[in-house]
Amino acid sequence: MNKSLIEIFKIFFIIGIQLLGGGYVIVPLLKKYIVDERKWITDEELVDLYAISQCIPGIIAANIATITGYKIKKLQGAIAAIMGIVVPSFIIILLFAMLLSNFANLEIVQAAFKGIRTAVIVLVILTVKDLWKKSVNSIFTYILFSIILLILLFCKTSPTLVIIGAGFSAIFYSKIKGVKNA
Amino acid sequence: MLKLYFLLCYEFAQIGIFAIGGGYAAIPFLFHIQDKYNWFSIEELTNMIAISNITPGPIGINMATYAGFKTAGILGSTVSTFSMLIVPFIITILITKLFSKLQNNDTIKNLFMGLRPAACALLLSIGISLLFTELFNTKEINFESIDIKQFGLFIVLLISMSFFKKNPLITILLGAIGGVILNYFI
Repeated sequence: MNKSLIEIFKIFFIIGIQLLGGGYVIVPLLKKYIVDERKWITDEELVDLYAISQCIPGIIAANIATITGYKIKKLQGAIAAIMGIVVPSFIIILLFAMLLSNFANLEIVQAAFKGIRTAVIVLVILTVKDLWKKSVNSIFTYILFSIILLILLFCKTSPTLVIIGAGFSAIFYSKIKGVKNA
Repeated sequence: MLKLYFLLCYEFAQIGIFAIGGGYAAIPFLFHIQDKYNWFSIEELTNMIAISNITPGPIGINMATYAGFKTAGILGSTVSTFSMLIVPFIITILITKLFSKLQNNDTIKNLFMGLRPAACALLLSIGISLLFTELFNTKEINFESIDIKQFGLFIVLLISMSFFKKNPLITILLGAIGGVILNYFI
């Protein structure tokens, strides 16, 4: 099968256009385009790279694209793949941002966006519910969550500091407790 | 002007490195940027989140592109998107090479045990402050200033989305329809 950089970019561009609703959607798309149709990577490799992507910071879909591209054609493949994922959303958002400013003052657009902002709150709260189930499941995580929430509600704190602090306290706690796995 | 691009780069690189747990994890960082620099308003930011949800592409990239554009035009969006991606890209390449050694590393598992609740708390605090700014039009609890119509819409959306599987596209579409109905018919 042809594995030219342009071909890799093209496939990831097509995948990028279809990414709607969260980074994880990229996994079934990779299964279809990369594993089944082109056989550039195997099913096992897909599962593996999905596991790696979980423990790397950054945009999940971009990281998965990077790893897949790397498996296909090393560094060049990784760059082609991440560009393929980024370029379509970049162009679509720019168009949206430029067009929207032309319509932003219409009453109906403002009314719609007022409702949409309420919908965003609902989405944020439902995402918290999902994250909560996966992440707050022990006494330590419960206490950590409560402390962080209290800090955030009563003083302005940089999210970066919160993440660093939480990471350190988890490692510190595990060292003391000798906990091997959460 | 150059300073602005440097700040964009600095702030979005932090999102790339520290926003753990999917696109929504970037939201608290964007609110922090809003609060610190006032490059865009809270309303614009919330609209931005909605648009990122209904357009294709990873939500984090969409938000970086949009926020960068609002701050400093097309060059701004290029800087913000690139800065957010570059460090994770390098880490990803390195980790892919070392993968077998890291997969069962206890320290990394323990680290994430702390990072996930933190990401969850960060997002909840944003949800709470959005509730106040959008529904109470204030930053304090003041039930006299509550926007009854929007609060009703909020409850309806929350209940319907808890019953059906959470679908961002449908939620935002319903929100838009609800907003128009509230404005013109109620």
